[in-house]
Amino acid sequence: MTSFPLLSIVLWLPALGALLLLLLPRNRDALYRQVGLMFTVATFVVSLGLLVSFSTPAGAAASAAAPPTMRLLEQLPWIPAWGVGYSIGLDGVSLWLVLLTTLLTPIAAWASWNSITTQVRYFQVLLLLLETALIGVFVSVDLFLFYIFWEFTLIPMALMIGIWGGANRMAAAMKFFLYTFAASLLMLLSIIGVYALHRSAIGATQPGFGGTFDLLRIVADLRSGAFALDGNLARLLFGGFLAAFAVKAPIWPFHSWLPDAYSEAPTPVVILLSAVMSKLGTYGLVRFNLTLFPEAAGWAAPAVAVLAVIGILYGAMVAYAQSDMKRLVAYSSLSHMGFVVLGIFALNGLGVSGAVLQMVNHGLTTAALFLIVGMLESRRGSRDLAAFGGLWQATPVLGGLTLLVVLSSAGLPGLNGFVGEFTIMQGAYSSPTLGWPFLAFAVLGVVLAVVYLLRMFRSAFMGDTLAETASLRDLNRQELAVLVLLCLPMVAIGLFPNLLLVSVEEGVAGVMRGILVAVASR
Amino acid sequence: MTDAVPLSWVLGLSGALFCIGLFAALARRNLVGVLMGVELMLNAAIINMVAFWRYLEPRFITGQNFAIFIIAVAAAEAAVGLAMIIAIYRNWQTVKADEVDSLKG
Amino acid sequence: MEQIQIPPVDLAVVAPLITVVGWAIVLLLVDVFFVPAGQKRITGYLGIAGLVMAGAVAAPLWGSDSSTFGGMLVLDNFALALTWIFLLIGAISMVIALDYLPRQGIEQGEFYPLIMFAVSAMMLLGQSANLIVMFLGIELLSITLYILTGFAYPRLSSEEAAMKYLLLGAFAAGFFVYGIALIYGQTGTVQLFSTAPGQESLAEYLGRQTFAAVDLTLLLVGSGLVLVAFGFKVALVPFHMWTPDVYEGAPTPVTAFMSVGTKGAALAALLRLLDMALPSLQPIWLPVLATLAAVTMLLGNLGAIAQSNVKRMLAYSSIGHAGYLLLGVMTVSERGVQGFLFYLLAYSLTNLGAFAVLIALEQRGEAAWSLDDFAGLWQRQPFLALAMAVFMLSLAGVPPTAGFVGKFYVFMAAWEGGLGWLALVGMLTSAIAAFFYLRVIARMFMQEPVRDVQPQLFRGLTLGISIAAAGTLIFGILPTLLINVVQQTALAVGR
Repeated sequence: MTSFPLLSIVLWLPALGALLLLLLPRNRDALYRQVGLMFTVATFVVSLGLLVSFSTPAGAAASAAAPPTMRLLEQLPWIPAWGVGYSIGLDGVSLWLVLLTTLLTPIAAWASWNSITTQVRYFQVLLLLLETALIGVFVSVDLFLFYIFWEFTLIPMALMIGIWGGANRMAAAMKFFLYTFAASLLMLLSIIGVYALHRSAIGATQPGFGGTFDLLRIVADLRSGAFALDGNLARLLFGGFLAAFAVKAPIWPFHSWLPDAYSEAPTPVVILLSAVMSKLGTYGLVRFNLTLFPEAAGWAAPAVAVLAVIGILYGAMVAYAQSDMKRLVAYSSLSHMGFVVLGIFALNGLGVSGAVLQMVNHGLTTAALFLIVGMLESRRGSRDLAAFGGLWQATPVLGGLTLLVVLSSAGLPGLNGFVGEFTIMQGAYSSPTLGWPFLAFAVLGVVLAVVYLLRMFRSAFMGDTLAETASLRDLNRQELAVLVLLCLPMVAIGLFPNLLLVSVEEGVAGVMRGILVAVASR
Repeated sequence: MTDAVPLSWVLGLSGALFCIGLFAALARRNLVGVLMGVELMLNAAIINMVAFWRYLEPRFITGQNFAIFIIAVAAAEAAVGLAMIIAIYRNWQTVKADEVDSLKG
Repeated sequence: MEQIQIPPVDLAVVAPLITVVGWAIVLLLVDVFFVPAGQKRITGYLGIAGLVMAGAVAAPLWGSDSSTFGGMLVLDNFALALTWIFLLIGAISMVIALDYLPRQGIEQGEFYPLIMFAVSAMMLLGQSANLIVMFLGIELLSITLYILTGFAYPRLSSEEAAMKYLLLGAFAAGFFVYGIALIYGQTGTVQLFSTAPGQESLAEYLGRQTFAAVDLTLLLVGSGLVLVAFGFKVALVPFHMWTPDVYEGAPTPVTAFMSVGTKGAALAALLRLLDMALPSLQPIWLPVLATLAAVTMLLGNLGAIAQSNVKRMLAYSSIGHAGYLLLGVMTVSERGVQGFLFYLLAYSLTNLGAFAVLIALEQRGEAAWSLDDFAGLWQRQPFLALAMAVFMLSLAGVPPTAGFVGKFYVFMAAWEGGLGWLALVGMLTSAIAAFFYLRVIARMFMQEPVRDVQPQLFRGLTLGISIAAAGTLIFGILPTLLINVVQQTALAVGR
C-alpha cells in the first residue's frame, strides 16, 4: 500500500521536533518552549486528519473470523528474520486515544511554560519523545513494536518525574519505573510465548513459516482456528499481559506507585501520566487480553472485575480522606480507572465501548482537574484544602469551570462522564459473567465520587473567604482558553456521544468477535 | 610393563596425587604451598594422560602430545606465579594468603 | 618406528590468528627498541592497527568451512563472527587504555602486545575443535590476564587481585586437564567433532553408543570436571567468588576487557563442547546447566544490589550476564547460538562503554567509583552521563538498546528450547537488575553533585565511549543488521 503515510507523520512529528530542539543554540528558553508547543500543536492539527478516514463507515467484516479492521495500515519489514514489522494502524478504539494524546500534549507543553524553569530544552525534548512513544503504543499492531514503544514511554516519563518533580522525586521516579518495568517483563515473556506457540502451530502445517509478531495475523489465525491459545498455558500468558496492564492502569492492588508518582510529578507531567499513560494499561487490556485470549478473559473476568470494584470503592474512600488536592485527584483517578476495567471485563460490546469512551472522558476531566490544581498551587503555593476557602468570590471564572469539570468527573447527566459510566454500568449489568452485584457497587462508587469531589469543591470555592485567598487573581486569557478547550469536548461528548460511539463501537466490534464466540461456548 | 602394573594402579596413583594437590591448594596458607598444590594437580593429570595413552591407545600420540603441552603450560604458569609471589612479598613482606586482604570480600 | 605424519597445514584457517600473534611479537620488539619511554601510546596505535588488519584479513574468509592441523582448528562463520567480536573488544580496550595508563603512571609498552596475545587466545578458543587446543587457549588467555591484572604494580590491590586470579585460575586449570584426561581415558580421543570422514571424535564416539549398554562414568566425571573449570573461568555461581575482588583490583581497562572477553571466549568454547561434541548427552547436562544459569542470574544480580561501589556492582552484574549468555549456550539450537552471539556483542559494547565511563571518573591514586561520585554527573559532563545512561539501560535490557534485543533473543531461544521457566527466572532477575542500574541513572540526572569529582575526558576515551554507545543504540534500533549476520553463523553448529 503506497497511500499517504499520515499515521507515520503523526507518530514521528514530535520526535522530529525533539531532534530539532537538540540542534538549536544554547540558552534560549523561550525559543525552546515555543518550538515544543509548535510541534505538539502541529501534531494535533495533523492528527485531526485521521478523522477523515473514519468519516465513511467500514464495510461489514468479511466474516465472523476476521481480525479487527485497521485503517491507515502501514506495514514495512523491520526484523524480517523474526517476522517483526513496522506495522501501525488505527481502529475505532485507538483513534480517540491518539486524539486524546495529541490534544493533551500541547496542553501539557503549555502548562510547562510557567512550571518548568530549569533545563527547559531537555524538558521539551522529553515531552516530545514521550508523545511519540505514547502514540506509538496506541497505533502499533505488531507485538514487538508495541513492546518497544511501551517500554520507551517509561524513560522520558521517569526522567521527567525525577528531574523536575517535588522533594521526594527520585524515590517516586525509581518506584514508578521499577514497578512498571518489572510487570512489563512478564508481558514480554508472554509475547515470546504467543510468538513461539503460534510459530510452532502454523509451522506444523506450513513448513518454512518463520513466525510473526503481527497481531492481525495471529488474531486471524486464532479466529480461523488454525492456532489455538487455550488451557492453563494460555491463562498464564494472559496473566503476563494482565500484570503489565494492571500495574500501568493501575488496578487495585497494583497501584502503590501511583500516589507517589502523581504527587511528585510536576503539573504538565502529571497531566500526561494520569490522562494518557494510565490509558495505556486499559487500552492494552482491550487490544491484547481480549483479542488474544478470549477464553482466558472469560475465565478471569469475575476476578478482575472484583478487583476493579474494590479499586473503585477503595480509591473513592481514600480520596475522601485526602487533604492534599493533588493526591485527592490521584486517588479519584484510581477509582475512575476501576470503572474502565469493570467495563472491559463485562466482556460485551456495551461494556467495552463504554470503557473506551470513559478512557477518553477520564483523560479529559482528570487532565483538567490536575491543571486546575496546578493553577491553584501556583497561585497559593499550597495544595492543601485547608489553605483555600471561598475562592468563588475571588475567582468566579475558575470556580465556574472547576464546577463543570467536577460535575463531569462525578458523572452528571449531560456531561461526558455520565455517558461513559452509564454505558459501563449497563454493560456490567447485562454481562454474561458479571451481573447486578457489580452494578450495585459501581453505583455506590458514583455516589462516593460525588461526595468527595463536591467536598473538595465546597471547601476550596465555597464557605468563608480566607484572607490569604481573597486576593488571588482569576484566570488570565491563556488559562481560560486552555480550560475552555478542555471543557468543550466534555460538553460535546455529553450531548452528542454518538460522535465517538459510532467509530468506537465499530472498533470494539472487531475486538469482540472472538469474545462472543468464546463466551457463548462456555 | 602393561602386564606387571595394571591400569587401575596407575589411575589410583594419579587420583591420590590429584587429591593431595587439591588439599594443598585449599588448605595451605603459604602462597608457594598453594602453587605447589596446583602443580601436583596438573602432574596427576599428566600421569593419567600418559597412562591412558600407553594402556589404551598406544597407536596415536595424542596422550603424549597433551602431556608435553601440559608440562610447558605448567612451567609458564609457575613462572608467572612465582614472579607474582615475589612482587607480593616486596609489598607486604609476607607470603601468607590470608594476610593479603586489601580488597573486601 | 613409524614415521610421524605431519598433516598438511591450511594457512587460510589460521591467517587472522597468525596476524595477531605475529604482529604482537613484532610489536614487543618494536616497543623495546624504537618507541621511546613516555611515547608508549604509539605502541597502542600500532596495536590497534594490527587488530584492524587482522579483522581485514578475516573478511574474505567469511562463508568458509574448513579445518587444519588434523582438524584441531576449524574456521567457520561462528568462529569468524567471534573473531571479529574479540578483535573489536581488544581494540576498544586499547583505545580506552591509551590515556588511562599514563594517567595512572603505569605506562608500559608491553600492555598492548599482551592484550593482543589475549585476543589471539580468545580467537583460538573460538576456533578450537580439540580439547588440547582449548586447554592451550584457556591457559594463554589466563596467563596474559594474570599479568595484565597485576599491571598496576606496585598498587597493592592490583597485585592482590592478580594473585587471587592466578591461584584460582591455576586451580581451575587442574580440574580442566584432569577432566580432559578422564574423557580421553573413556573415549580415546580429545577431538570434539570429526572434521574429516573416519576421524575419531567425541561426537563420533557418542554416536556409536547406545546409552543403556555402556558405562560412561569416566566421560561424565571428566565432563563434570571440565564444566567446573569453565565455571571458574566464566564466573558462574558457585564458582564466582573471585570475580568481585579481581575485577575491582585490576586496572579498569583490563577489567573491561576480561569482563567481556574471557566470558565470551570461554562460553564459546563451552558452546562448541556442549553443542557439537556432547549434544547427545543433553538430557544429562541440561538440568545441571539450567540450575547453574538460574542460580547465576539470581545471585549475581542480588549481589550487585548490595554494592555502593559501581565497579564492584558491574563485577557482580557481569556474573549475572554470564547466566543470560548461558541461556543461549544450552539450548543446542540455531536460535540459541544466534542469541548467544548477539547477546555477546551487545553486552561487550555496553560493558566496555560502562567501564570506559568509570575510567573517565578515575583519577590517579583515587578511585571515584562510589555511587555518590555519579551524583549530578549530568550537570558536569552531559556526554558522560548520557552515555552511561545508555549503557545502564542496555544492561538492564530496556528498549531501544542492543541489550534489550539480546535479552529478547536468548529468552526466545530458551522458550523455544523448552526452558520457559528459565526465561521466567531471567525476566525476574532482569527486574531486580533494573533496580541497581537505574540507581546510577537516578543519581546522575536527579541529584546535585555530592563530591567534587572532575571527570576527565581524553580523545581516545571519548572515541571509545562514542563507539560503544553508538553501537548499543544502532543495534538496538536496527537489530536486523546484526541478526542477518548471526543467522549465517549458526548454520555451522548442528552438524
